[in-house]
Amino acid sequence: MRRSIALAVALASGCGTAPDDRPATLEVITLEILAPTCGQVQCHSSTTNLRGYALDTVAGARAALADKTSQDGLLKVSNGKTKLIEVIEATGGKRMPPDVPLADEDIALLQKWIDGGELGL
Amino acid sequence: MIRIVIIALAIAMATASVAHAYPQYQLSHGDATCTGCHVSPDGGGILNENGQNVAEQTAWKDGNGGWMYGMTKPSWLALGGDVRGAAGFVDPGTASAAAYPMQLEVAASVHAHGFSLHALGGLRSPQDGGSALHVLWSREHYVMWQSNPDETYGFYVRAGRLMPTFGLRLAEHINYTQKYGGYPLYAEAYGLSTSYVGHAFEVHATGFVHDPIATSAEKGDGGAVYAEVRLGDHAAIGADAKYTSAPEQKHTYAGLTGKLYLPGPDLLFQAEAEIIEQHVTAGAGDKTTQLAGYLLASKPLGGGLLLDVGLGHYTEDTRVKDLYRDCADANLHWFVTPHVEGLLTARVELLDLGGSPTGGYLLAQFHYRL
Repeated sequence: MRRSIALAVALASGCGTAPDDRPATLEVITLEILAPTCGQVQCHSSTTNLRGYALDTVAGARAALADKTSQDGLLKVSNGKTKLIEVIEATGGKRMPPDVPLADEDIALLQKWIDGGELGL
Repeated sequence: MIRIVIIALAIAMATASVAHAYPQYQLSHGDATCTGCHVSPDGGGILNENGQNVAEQTAWKDGNGGWMYGMTKPSWLALGGDVRGAAGFVDPGTASAAAYPMQLEVAASVHAHGFSLHALGGLRSPQDGGSALHVLWSREHYVMWQSNPDETYGFYVRAGRLMPTFGLRLAEHINYTQKYGGYPLYAEAYGLSTSYVGHAFEVHATGFVHDPIATSAEKGDGGAVYAEVRLGDHAAIGADAKYTSAPEQKHTYAGLTGKLYLPGPDLLFQAEAEIIEQHVTAGAGDKTTQLAGYLLASKPLGGGLLLDVGLGHYTEDTRVKDLYRDCADANLHWFVTPHVEGLLTARVELLDLGGSPTGGYLLAQFHYRL
């Protein structure tokens, strides 16, 4: 009942009221964050595979995120930050996605997943 | 330079249009259904004779709206095609320049005795790992039967690769209700679709499976329904639902649509709201609820100009505080001739009503219809 009321309130206001307790797993960050934004069919998807990244499936994301060493490795760390977070937070025309920035909450969940040992990778 | 090209490609395809319909002209021209102007029962693609006439009436300059300006062809053959390209700026914070091709497709429909064969094919950027072969593709190819081949009302049955009928189906598919709400770009699937299009109402139902060969935005199997009831000559309300089941996740969509034309100010409002349940089944799983809504007001300005102003809302996850975004769109169409359209399109997007970085773009698009 409480969950129904919470959902009704959320629907009425168009947004949630609770802090972010989404599971920081590869499946969640891929299918709930990366796929609808970076992994749209025309961009980093298994269809278009732009720049070799396919972020619209868990398998594709796992392959793209597994590379931690090469220049294009999304989890390659430089200056204390992964390339993934770096490009998402970038400014000066380097941000990805360029026209649809990720929400702070999504970036925080990605960082939480990285900090948590990249569960599921 | 490489980064600019990549950004250009990404935004190009993100804003790519695939010649869907212009329902902005519904209700205001006495054509309450998609079949009033299009061969397909759910709109888009090849124009019928009335659609060509509407193109002539709405253009700034006179001209023959028929295929290739009225080139002679057999009566059993209908042809179409679209060329689109765009250039402009993305990311308001930095205004990165972008220029790109968007669409190069041709369409053909062969019809006899109520049966017809439709095919839509063209070029796209290298797909599936970059194979040159995959530059050529066909988004749609299906056989269709219609009960009244000389009319715009009746029963329709289609089988083949097609877009399941769902929602408002606006040309600018980056609308939140399409992008996030179950009608994304390149989500064609193989399916069987039945439609009834009547004066008072229309109903569409599609069962589909994902493309087993070419990758698609639609990775699941499922079904979609859309029903619309007209309230007099100037209003309509609709409802839709869609379910897809893919190996890693399931989606359930349900929504409402509405259209209202005000003859006095010559203003058309269209609205769509979707509730989406995403069930991640891979790994430990998760279940989220999302909301997508869009309101579009359209007004012809004369001289072939049509102004759209849109407002969108998308809640990414109703569980999480402040995880939503809103946008304001403005599209100025200029139908120069029955075949040539210029479009200036702009979006300002706010995350969390300004709590996070903004996004958006300003693009000039060129569209030539064969």
